[in-house]
Amino acid sequence: MTDRRAFGPGTQRYLDGEPFGELPADERAAADRLAALASSYGARLEPVDAALDEAVMAAVRRRGAVPVRRGAWQWLVSSHRVPVRPVWVAALAAAAALVVWLAPRGPAAPRGAALAAAATPDTVFVRFELVAPGARTVSVAGSFNGWRVDALPMVRGAAGIWSVTVALPVGEHRYDFVVDRTRWVPDPTAHSQVGDGFGGMNSVIIVGPKGLVRS
Amino acid sequence: MEPSDGTIVRRVLDGDVEQYRFLVERYRSRFGRYALAVVGDRDAAQDAMQEAFIRAFDALASCRNPDRFGAWFFRILANQCRNVVARRRDVVDLEVADPAGDERADAALDRSELAATLEAALARLTPEQREAFVMKHVDGRSYEEMAELLGVGTDALKMRVYRARDTLRELLGGLR
Repeated sequence: MTDRRAFGPGTQRYLDGEPFGELPADERAAADRLAALASSYGARLEPVDAALDEAVMAAVRRRGAVPVRRGAWQWLVSSHRVPVRPVWVAALAAAAALVVWLAPRGPAAPRGAALAAAATPDTVFVRFELVAPGARTVSVAGSFNGWRVDALPMVRGAAGIWSVTVALPVGEHRYDFVVDRTRWVPDPTAHSQVGDGFGGMNSVIIVGPKGLVRS
Repeated sequence: MEPSDGTIVRRVLDGDVEQYRFLVERYRSRFGRYALAVVGDRDAAQDAMQEAFIRAFDALASCRNPDRFGAWFFRILANQCRNVVARRRDVVDLEVADPAGDERADAALDRSELAATLEAALARLTPEQREAFVMKHVDGRSYEEMAELLGVGTDALKMRVYRARDTLRELLGGLR
């Protein structure tokens, strides 16, 4: 049996250490118990081992110096793959990644991905990827396709990697992955996320001239 | 007197990479508990922290305000921790004890057991709620500090903490 009662505003303020009115005894006891649990939990956490310092410094020494800031092209050709959690399907082990390849203004089709639209002089090819082996369908919905779920379906490849390549106009675009037509998943690797106005988040990609992309 | 973050960062950028150790020591101790509590696994937390420090070093030239290295580093660390949590949730079916439904609920659980129960319950929160709850109640930070570190408004953070408390109350059998 679980207690589905939420803490009242006064109790929340009490837990925040702010002024509060008279609290019912059971509410105050529950709040105190939660705070005590958190305190006990924190006290049990042992400090991170100082051996970490040497491991970091060994990696730093191997580099020798702080790398010069990477150019856009280097960023583009490197893969950024980070898992995401689709909470509604237990079988779906998901990982997300975005924008690993593009061909500026060129007509050549990228390999291994569905080419969703032809590029024009004011567009660049951008490839989206999502690792979602448990998904039945995955698409990209964004400001560039009217947020339509079916407008940009991704193609499933090896190891459950879904991908699609699309020619995007130069400018800033917002997007999400849509898994199984119902679950909107922002790209956690995007450098920028913005609220969608409905409590969720949208990822941001900026397509610049000459094929420069930042997501 | 210890050198400031800005001084250390500038020395590192000038080529004295050994100075980076001071930042590692400083923020390993300052944010270590956060990483442990958010990730919930010691080895994984240390890996996340190590990776965050290395990423920060690699990107140090893009740290626009070296005097605020700590806040800048924290965001890198927070992202690493979120990734670890997300990855684990992909493959692990997390279980949480229901003390109210447990035979032991009527017995006096010691603090260690209760803390372990809280850890299991924390794993059931959303990553954002867990992060906010940990910063508020385990690290003991103010909402203003949290906002500074996370780049999220205090109202939104309060809402995350409030929801986390409500969820934990439910998961922990009402906290009676």
